[in-house]
Amino acid sequence: MGGAITILRPVPIFPERAFVFSALRWITAAAFTVGLGGCAAEPARGPIVVVDDAGDTVRLARPASRVASLIPATTELLFAMGRGGNVVGRTRWCDWPAAAARVPDLGDGIVPNLEAIAAVGPDLVLLYHSAQNAAAADRLRSLGMPVVQVRSDLLADVPRIAGLLGRLLGASAAADSLARTFDAELAAASVRPPSDPPRIFILVWEQPPITVGRGSYLSEIIERAGGRNVYADLPASSGQISVESVVARDPDAVFTSSDTIPGFARRPEWQAVRAVRDRRFIHASGSEFSRPGPRSPAAIGRLADRIRGLPR
Amino acid sequence: MMRLAGLAAFALIALTIGVGAGSVALPPGEVWSGLARADAPASLIVRNLRLPRALLAFLVGGGLGVCGAALQALVRNPLADPYLLGLSGGAGLGAVLAIAARPGSGWPVPLAAFVGAMAAVVLVYRLSVVSGRRLDPRVLLLAGVVVGAFASAVMSAVIVLSDAPQLRNAFLWLLGGFTASSWQTLGLFVVYSVIPFAMLFALARSLDLLALGEETALHLGTDVERAKRLVYVAASLLTAASVATSGIIGFVGLVVPHAVRRLWSPLHVALLPASFLAGGGFLVLADTLARTVIRPLELPVGVVTALVGVPLFAVLLRRNLA
Repeated sequence: MGGAITILRPVPIFPERAFVFSALRWITAAAFTVGLGGCAAEPARGPIVVVDDAGDTVRLARPASRVASLIPATTELLFAMGRGGNVVGRTRWCDWPAAAARVPDLGDGIVPNLEAIAAVGPDLVLLYHSAQNAAAADRLRSLGMPVVQVRSDLLADVPRIAGLLGRLLGASAAADSLARTFDAELAAASVRPPSDPPRIFILVWEQPPITVGRGSYLSEIIERAGGRNVYADLPASSGQISVESVVARDPDAVFTSSDTIPGFARRPEWQAVRAVRDRRFIHASGSEFSRPGPRSPAAIGRLADRIRGLPR
Repeated sequence: MMRLAGLAAFALIALTIGVGAGSVALPPGEVWSGLARADAPASLIVRNLRLPRALLAFLVGGGLGVCGAALQALVRNPLADPYLLGLSGGAGLGAVLAIAARPGSGWPVPLAAFVGAMAAVVLVYRLSVVSGRRLDPRVLLLAGVVVGAFASAVMSAVIVLSDAPQLRNAFLWLLGGFTASSWQTLGLFVVYSVIPFAMLFALARSLDLLALGEETALHLGTDVERAKRLVYVAASLLTAASVATSGIIGFVGLVVPHAVRRLWSPLHVALLPASFLAGGGFLVLADTLARTVIRPLELPVGVVTALVGVPLFAVLLRRNLA
């Protein structure tokens, strides 16, 4: 985990400002090229060819302009790149930015509704890469809709997928600027790993208790915020654990996605855990804590504040 | 008597293993001092977590064994198990509704599962009381299957239509487990289950006669209708409580009574206590495996009971045929 050294306080990002900035940049770039004689802003000569996360080679004759974005993370990225106007469909989980609510809701992103997708007539479908989506991807392709399958699980996926989207939409300049901004904000928000970091237990579900291991986004942002996941030794990205092993690992605080004292904290068996007894919780609701995207640096900044505020 | 003493010894050994082993490896000396002294370092784990968990698993396993034995006699069908009577479907629906309704309502999942199970039981009972006040075991079986299927269909619809992304975790809860065990849950289960246990044990002789056929039982002087109703009510109450404490744990209630019957006389006076001890010991061992095989991760205990119980039972079936 390359926690960048920073003397600055974590800089909160202003997504709206980033949005306006990249939109402006794109407009000036377009105006500039129009001024130069109307050649395309991007090198759109010949078809666009990308290899997606499923290993499939996808060819587009021209940049996509009607995108069905069936992953909340790609919806966030497209809007942050100033290409929200090209999104013609989204999942019901796409809750950011607020403008995304105006895009037609096509339902679930895993096992998607093919008819709803076909109805909006996309020239590109972005699908989460998972075994459950393989059949839907084949079917969409056979219906003549190009499909790009993407795996967006970790922080490193954000600039990578931004670049991919930039190529697919002919918006590489906006994508590159977004990726650079993201990398800079991430470096600024990341805390230098302390020698004795507060040890955090991440509880993602109460009954049965489920936590996440090192191969997960939550674990990643907690480490960057200066904490340490007590289950970082788990190779699985999530798993069911027993209260007994939480007692043995004796975390300093419990990460929870609820805004209030969670219900399990009052259950008698959890009183065996010191952090629960002492009511040391890091509350973090909000979808920026559940998926990597342009808001991740801000999420890390907020987590870092809370982790720094823990009594030691 | 010798055999019951042997089973009691098996149950004690199972409980000892259940308290001695866990997701944290503790040497026997530390386990012992944790049990004996409240200020020992391991006492938090051994006294507050492992002991109530092992005892609860024992009681729930014993309850499922007894219910399975009683229901197999009641409906005179070897496939009968405690969840047959629409209970699992009703409990599942209750749990899913409670999770889907969050965070608005504060219904805890176990309570909602209990209410769902009892609603299914009442419905099945109403459907099975035919021609006046007779409880027909064949109709009971069919009504159980039908109500269970209906509840499962509603449950699937709720899962598909709901916006709660946590709903997939409802399945994990239903798969069963003792992660939420504490002295309080154990106490609640003990207080609650005393009456159904007493009812079922008291009905052992009626069950023997029922297993022979209702007409025979009637000739031999049993109030058949009353016995059937009491068995049904007691088994339902006990199973619903076990669902509320630990979800749906398959195969214990089906396999344990059969295994005991194959090794002993089928008389219920012996069969019920034997099923209690065998079911309890078996579930404690299954839960210990669930906690330890992939530590610090845990398996749902229902997965272990099926993985271990089914091959064991298959061997037993073959051995008795030979």
